[in-house]
Amino acid sequence: MSLVSKAITWSRIKSPWILHFNTGACNACDIEILAALTPRFDLERFGILLRSTPRHADVLVCSGPVTRQARERLIRIYEQLPEPKFVVSVGSCSCSGGVFNGCYNMMGGVNEVIPVSAFIPGCPARPEALIDGVVKLLGSLQATK
Amino acid sequence: MAKEEEIRESLTKQFGALEGKIRIQRARRMWAEVEPSDFETVLDYLRKSQGFVILCTMTGLDKGENLGIIYHLAREDGIMLNVEVTVPKTNPVIKTVTAVFPGADHYERELVDLLGFKIEGLAPGFRYPLTDDWPEGQYPLRKDWKLDPSLKTGKIEES
Repeated sequence: MSLVSKAITWSRIKSPWILHFNTGACNACDIEILAALTPRFDLERFGILLRSTPRHADVLVCSGPVTRQARERLIRIYEQLPEPKFVVSVGSCSCSGGVFNGCYNMMGGVNEVIPVSAFIPGCPARPEALIDGVVKLLGSLQATK
Repeated sequence: MAKEEEIRESLTKQFGALEGKIRIQRARRMWAEVEPSDFETVLDYLRKSQGFVILCTMTGLDKGENLGIIYHLAREDGIMLNVEVTVPKTNPVIKTVTAVFPGADHYERELVDLLGFKIEGLAPGFRYPLTDDWPEGQYPLRKDWKLDPSLKTGKIEES
């Protein structure tokens, strides 16, 4: 691998920028995600920055079961992320549908719509579990470098 | 219980068909069953003369062969009167009450979408709360409705 591509891979692993998207959740997981980014739990020490547009992001952090209306929006945002991209689903609703599995308006978990790289269970997922999941995702990126 | 008795008496005096259909459950809670043909005049009378100006909410019921609606009306001094209307499932047509309670618009649209009522006189508009691409004829909150697997549309194609 050339020096430039090595540098690019190094920067992707050491500083993944995230975009957070809520596909119909009750907001508890969103609060925990934002709490994990604050100095107390400090996800930012891994170089993670919360971005406001999918075109700047490497990782899409999703919470919530996917509703019928959110499905097209989620696919559109997923397609706007530049390659290589990863998806993390936070909370039991986005892992499998949670309590809403089988309801008339729900597609199920996020992995029914887009491919997911890491699942973080919990209702809501604790910030410690979030950090654990993110570290595992970064470790797997390192292994496939 | 004096006020509730007064309300019951004035209602039966005004509408003879309601004789024996008004039940007082406890202080400040009353129930009434009304025919669908003239329930709008009953609600109008309750609002104008008896002071039941608050429509708290509307509950839709699926009772097997019939569909029902309960209008939960309330008064300033805390008395709630629940008016129940029943229609057969084969012809669930009912008139709108937005002339009496304009806020009933949202509740009636929910009943149209989720239980399959046909409400005459409702102003035309978007469907609410189901999505625009929901197929016609599927009423999710009826007891005999099953989730059609084709409604759970699937994953995007992986490149």
